[in-house]
Amino acid sequence: MSDIRPKYKGSLLRPMKALSFLFREPATLPMEPREATELYRGFHLNDWEKCIGCGTCGEICDNSAIRMVDIPGLPGDPAAGVKARRPAIDYGRCCWCALCVDICPTGSLSMSREYVHVSRDLDTYLILPDEAGMHGENFQKGWAKSEDSDLLDLTRRAMGELEAEARSDNFNEVTPGYDAQTALLEASRCIQCGMCHEACPAHMHAPEYIRAIWDGDMERAVGEIYRTNPFPHVCGRICTHRCETACSIGRRGDPVAIRWLKRFAMDQVEPEKVQEIALKNGIAKSTGKKIAVIGAGPAGLTAAFDLAKLGHKVRVYEARPEPGGMMRYGIPEYRLPYDKLDADIEVIREAGVEIKCNMRLGEKENLQNLRKGNDAVLISTGMNLGRSTRIPGSDHPQVASAVDLLARITLGEDIKAPKRIAVIGGGNVAFDIARSMARLQRRQYGAVNMTVLALEERGAMLADEAEVTEAADEGIVLVNGRGPKQVKISNGALAGLETVKCLSIFDEEGRFHPRYDESDLVLHKVDMVIEAIGQMSDTSWLGDDLTEALEWRRGRIAVDDDGRTSENWLWAAGDLVQGPDVIHAVAAGHKAAASIHSAVAAKKGAVK
Amino acid sequence: MSEHGEGHKGAHARLKAMKSLEEILETAMSFEETAGAFYAALKDKVGKPLRELVGELALEEAEHYRLFKALRDNPDIAGQLSGGVQVPAEDHNFSKYILLPDLGSDPDDQAILQYALSREDAAARQYGDLAQTTPEGPVRDLFLFLAKEELEHKAELEKRYYELVHSGGV
Amino acid sequence: MRPENYRPVKHPPSHEYELYFGPNHPGIEGNYAIRVRLKGDVIIEAIADGGYLHRGFEKIMEERLWIQNVALVPRICVPDPVPMEETYSRAVEMIGGLEVPVRAQWIRVMLLEMSRICAHLFTFGGNAATIGLYTNMFWGVTMRDYFLDLFEEVTGARIYHMFITPGGVRRDLPEGFLGRLGNLLDELERRMPEFEDLFFESAVVINRASGIGIISQEQALSWGVTGPNLRACDLPIDLRRDDPYLVYPELEFDVVTVEGGDALARMMARRGEVIQSIRILRQIIARLPSIGGAIRSPLPNPLAWNLPVGEAYARTESSKGETAFYIVSDGGPRPYRVHVRGPSSMHAVQVLEKLLIGARIEDIAQIMFSLDACPPEVDR
Repeated sequence: MSDIRPKYKGSLLRPMKALSFLFREPATLPMEPREATELYRGFHLNDWEKCIGCGTCGEICDNSAIRMVDIPGLPGDPAAGVKARRPAIDYGRCCWCALCVDICPTGSLSMSREYVHVSRDLDTYLILPDEAGMHGENFQKGWAKSEDSDLLDLTRRAMGELEAEARSDNFNEVTPGYDAQTALLEASRCIQCGMCHEACPAHMHAPEYIRAIWDGDMERAVGEIYRTNPFPHVCGRICTHRCETACSIGRRGDPVAIRWLKRFAMDQVEPEKVQEIALKNGIAKSTGKKIAVIGAGPAGLTAAFDLAKLGHKVRVYEARPEPGGMMRYGIPEYRLPYDKLDADIEVIREAGVEIKCNMRLGEKENLQNLRKGNDAVLISTGMNLGRSTRIPGSDHPQVASAVDLLARITLGEDIKAPKRIAVIGGGNVAFDIARSMARLQRRQYGAVNMTVLALEERGAMLADEAEVTEAADEGIVLVNGRGPKQVKISNGALAGLETVKCLSIFDEEGRFHPRYDESDLVLHKVDMVIEAIGQMSDTSWLGDDLTEALEWRRGRIAVDDDGRTSENWLWAAGDLVQGPDVIHAVAAGHKAAASIHSAVAAKKGAVK
Repeated sequence: MSEHGEGHKGAHARLKAMKSLEEILETAMSFEETAGAFYAALKDKVGKPLRELVGELALEEAEHYRLFKALRDNPDIAGQLSGGVQVPAEDHNFSKYILLPDLGSDPDDQAILQYALSREDAAARQYGDLAQTTPEGPVRDLFLFLAKEELEHKAELEKRYYELVHSGGV
Repeated sequence: MRPENYRPVKHPPSHEYELYFGPNHPGIEGNYAIRVRLKGDVIIEAIADGGYLHRGFEKIMEERLWIQNVALVPRICVPDPVPMEETYSRAVEMIGGLEVPVRAQWIRVMLLEMSRICAHLFTFGGNAATIGLYTNMFWGVTMRDYFLDLFEEVTGARIYHMFITPGGVRRDLPEGFLGRLGNLLDELERRMPEFEDLFFESAVVINRASGIGIISQEQALSWGVTGPNLRACDLPIDLRRDDPYLVYPELEFDVVTVEGGDALARMMARRGEVIQSIRILRQIIARLPSIGGAIRSPLPNPLAWNLPVGEAYARTESSKGETAFYIVSDGGPRPYRVHVRGPSSMHAVQVLEKLLIGARIEDIAQIMFSLDACPPEVDR
């Protein structure tokens, strides 16, 4: 190939051939903009309906060209993971790389085929892109979201679980937790947008602890977790994870497994170290104030923990033999092992909280005494009575309440599970009792005959999906779209449960308004019916005088935003105020504690 | 429920015999009035946590009473009705499956709501039956209108029942 | 001014004078300058004076996430950006142990060769302009523009494609693209004789470029000359053949060498490479449709992507020579250190300074263009 060195050939006229170009079509373009290609990366477009204001576009932008701007009047919805802000783009900085489009969790961002903007006004280069485009001229979409260039990891790392055979006759924990590599990979999916933080009732610092897990620093993660939640082992297992509902990754993929990551971090750190981290800011000097908390559930113990750290003397009165409330007596052990709950409570005790169990009010102690002996009283007795459908026959002794049975199982009572059981309800409690009783059935008879009758259709179940599938693996039969009609009794014995087909549950406006097909009747032949349709509080122990003195709202004790009742010495928090949920109870406990703290701090002198 | 005497029993015959819209409305008003009085009396008997609920039920009945009265006093009842019944609400038979309880001396929230639901259901059923057996015209329109009103009230009560008893669906 | 370029002011003899050539001179490639000392119109000393394009690429890259640097690297060489993206990505892949799907490798080679043709066409044009043949410059830029249209189709952008990312490429080819590429190659082949007439075989070019800026083989090797400039010294060294990457081993092409080591030889080496690139692209057009599969291996969330601790040196035969990235990772989400081996930093500094001595002032521009130096590579 070395012989291509040219020789001068021909004449000086040869270059004159270039004159032929005079007669060819010019290669240059007319002045008006030409059509850009289908993938062109021109000015940004943003679908405001889809955009959730997460700000990930700004995070990935390598030129800091994207800034999130609060939009007055735009509706935000923290629970749904929507912030009232939208990206603004500075075309003085943008390099049109479209990484923002590729990472956008919703797919709202794209780029148009428009690429000409001429102005002497520098402000026009800073825009808030919308669907109409830079100049409102509706240029076609160019570079947009595509699976090929999606930068997010949309697939959740699966959580393993015990095989059905290995778990269905015992109460061992079903899920083993992530291993280190899986946790690292799962943590790496987080884009740190903070939607979870805003959606969480307790505003947990999920982005921070996920980042700490990703950094491999579990102690820092535990520290971040304990900033807002003294029940991390519990919430790492059974939280209703509003965070994951709001997670931006969940817009197109599986939300980050925030709950499992929290559990992972907690399981990695030794209990002594957890205690040290949880109490690293120390306990304040004693204030001499005394506070009584009634009910050792999540709300009461959270408030007690906060108040004890602030230097108050806190005593918690619990009716049952062990603290924990519904976390112990409502949630089955296979979902939340007792030692994990004990570990959380131990930290709270370590902060100086005194928990007195077997102290049902009205028996050994009463509210008036507590009022006199304390600077403030918090009631957090929860919702531990089961609601009944009150259908005909529901007063039969073989018709049981789910919450009662769950508590008796925890108490270690010897429960005879009949051979055939039907559970009425489609929520997590229904599955908790069905799966618990099925375990007893398998122990006693080696076989399961358990039917869960839910009003809802399969796709609209209130219970977690994992509950439904795991129950099916354990041999539990789920029948959807059935409403209870009556409990059949023959010769005094329970003969079965008659149900009717439910056509729909809610009306067009989303109100509870079930429609039934009366011609579709089924008799489920069972020996026992368990009702798991709802819960209520027992407030009779408050006494007539206090009941009359207190303000009530919708049948529940009325409290202000900070949990204070209409009686200035009394606060109320948790399920009995706002309905069942652990993380909401934790959040309410914090609020009540802050309110109690400021109220007693303002008070002069201590109660003798 | 007959023991509480709000008078649905035998009302079919009474209403059937009526000729004028005013008369029908007056009977309907008397039902609402009796119900309102019943809840007002119950309010004094129940404990404070339930008083709000019972009080609201009483208010709602009173509101219905006012609505029917305004209609009766309107010179153009027939004209008003034709607009009101164009989309009759559908009965979904929900209340049938709630046992109509004997409201004892100390009813709880669930019992009171179940009672109220059955009342609305029975009333709606009553008016619906009457409408079916009445030839087309202003009287039939009035029955349909009354049935619709009762059903709408029932739907509101069902929502409240769900919130209370199913405690948010846990 | 770089410290090693600093020279204390010497009072020259009266028949010598100093000329500051650039940075806004039409005969300078990019924003660059040369301080030349002249005796009459003969250069007795030349000192390259870069820095006009210094944006601190290497340092900035330490502050950016692995993926963000994809948007930065093509800017290191404007006329030939694809090798920058490809080499950076390959270095990251080497550290992270990422596999690039075969189809993506073929697409990358296609883009690399298209970019090479663009760069050479641009250089023909520029080279011609330095000796007054402006028509040729327009032709070169025109042909290049047709290629930019194709780049726009595939990548969404004409110059800074930001298309090759660690793990693969960002999109698959649009429908019918290979056909359009084939048509353009046909057109380019049709045009080559016109380039010959006007330029390569023109008496003006041959007389002006022969014997100018001669590099001997020994000098080339000791000065770190690479690429077409090296092959113009009749040294058959080409990374695509000697240290193959991507799917080059599956492609047939010749290593173009030319004797002489002068400006004309370098021009002819580039001309020969355009022909070889067309040959490679024709093979890709034939083979690519039968190669299926993914175009990207899955990446972790780029905001939380730690590369393992390690280092890698990835090199590519670009239109300018050996383009390479040396990257060190400390296990974090950003590079610990990046070094860019821009071939032009040799060609435009040490080689140019030496070649200019003894040359005449009117040949400065021609010599610089014949080396095809790219100033941002010097200043990276």
